[in-house]
Amino acid sequence: MSYFWKKASLLRWPRVVLPASAGLFLLLSFTAGIAAGQSSDGEKAVPILTGTAGYFNFVTAGQNQVDAQINPVLLVPFGDRWLVESRAEFEGAFQRPPDGGSYGGMVSKNLDYLQADYIANPYLTVTMGRFLTPFGIFNERLYPIWIRSLQQDPLILPLSAESSDGMMLRGGFPVNAKVNLNYAAYVSAVSSGHNNLESDRNVGGRMGIFLPGPRVEVGTSWQKLLQEGRTHSFGFHFAWQPTRLPLNIHSEYARSNQGSGYWIDGAYRLSQVLFWQKALRRLEFAGRAEQFFNGQISSDEAQALGLPAANTREGEFGLNYYLHDGLKAVASYGRQFSSAGNLNLWTVGIAYRFAVPLGRVGSQ
Amino acid sequence: MKYKSLAIIWLLGLISAIGVASSAPRTRKATEPAVYSSAEADAMRLEGEKRFRANCNRCHAAPHKFPPRMMATIVRHMRVRATITDDDMRYILFYMTQ
Repeated sequence: MSYFWKKASLLRWPRVVLPASAGLFLLLSFTAGIAAGQSSDGEKAVPILTGTAGYFNFVTAGQNQVDAQINPVLLVPFGDRWLVESRAEFEGAFQRPPDGGSYGGMVSKNLDYLQADYIANPYLTVTMGRFLTPFGIFNERLYPIWIRSLQQDPLILPLSAESSDGMMLRGGFPVNAKVNLNYAAYVSAVSSGHNNLESDRNVGGRMGIFLPGPRVEVGTSWQKLLQEGRTHSFGFHFAWQPTRLPLNIHSEYARSNQGSGYWIDGAYRLSQVLFWQKALRRLEFAGRAEQFFNGQISSDEAQALGLPAANTREGEFGLNYYLHDGLKAVASYGRQFSSAGNLNLWTVGIAYRFAVPLGRVGSQ
Repeated sequence: MKYKSLAIIWLLGLISAIGVASSAPRTRKATEPAVYSSAEADAMRLEGEKRFRANCNRCHAAPHKFPPRMMATIVRHMRVRATITDDDMRYILFYMTQ
């Protein structure tokens, strides 16, 4: 089965590394000439320990799961151009056995990324190590529990690898005053799925166009397996934040041989309501609609990857209340429709973001 | 084979886009000059707030302001994570620290 880890062929690996290295050299040479200036941050950066902690109750088809997690993020800057960053995930998921008794379960740990970033110039950052796979926008930007508007993962999230070990080129720059372009291209020796299963070598990338005026971003992602089936995945993403409304809309579509599907979600903050402003401006309504279609794999394989075993539709609505900066209480209800059975999804919990300096923070 | 061609086109498109960007008119760097008049600083704060709302608020609510050296690290992290442009990063850092 091509979805699971297989020992990498050392004979075939140079076919990836050599072209990638040559490409990197060409790109660095090309962009070095056009770089206008250095990427100085102005302030001397200090190492930071940040991250999230959360406690949730996920009730799925009447079965309660207690979920406690902490996701520390370590940021260590070096000079003006380097950043070493890492995120780990410690999650305990506990359920009561079907025949009763006390709660039990596993505590899982995972290294989401451990990467060194070199900001070569305003157009290019080179990343090495384990990094979040740049496929769509959810995995890289919206995954942290204090950022996501609904705590359930989108159904199509397992279609792409969560983390990749290798090298990545990325950057964002203005094409003109009204258009920014962002890109990421990577080659990976090992990729890990969202269920922590290791998979095969990949190459892929993402490109997006952001219009700062209307605050719209559209983009596309692509990923190719470098062995066995040599299958392809591709996707599209869309994000819009209207300038006149406190509304955020995000959407993704993804397709691979494992399945396909889409999600669209919106979050509306009640900051413009004219009454009870002190309380209501902290409240956010969120909603998501999504659909998943089975691919060319068996239902057992799909479930092992964390995908639904059958074609599935889901709608979810939630409330987020921002008690304090970085601290929010969440509650949501969802309904899942599938040929394998319909079910209710309830979520209630709290998410917290922390940030602690690991050095003196006085201005230089 | 079809996918290989698509991959090559994708890569060529990427390099072309970088080339196009190199010919784009450059905006003034937010950190030039080092000392600003009050009016310039106000204008930069407004621009920084605008860019903060356009870039950062797309994913998360505005955090409270951290000390400048912490913000320098956070903005560098977000520059990589969210592929924020160099100019956006400078204006946002100015807005979040001044």
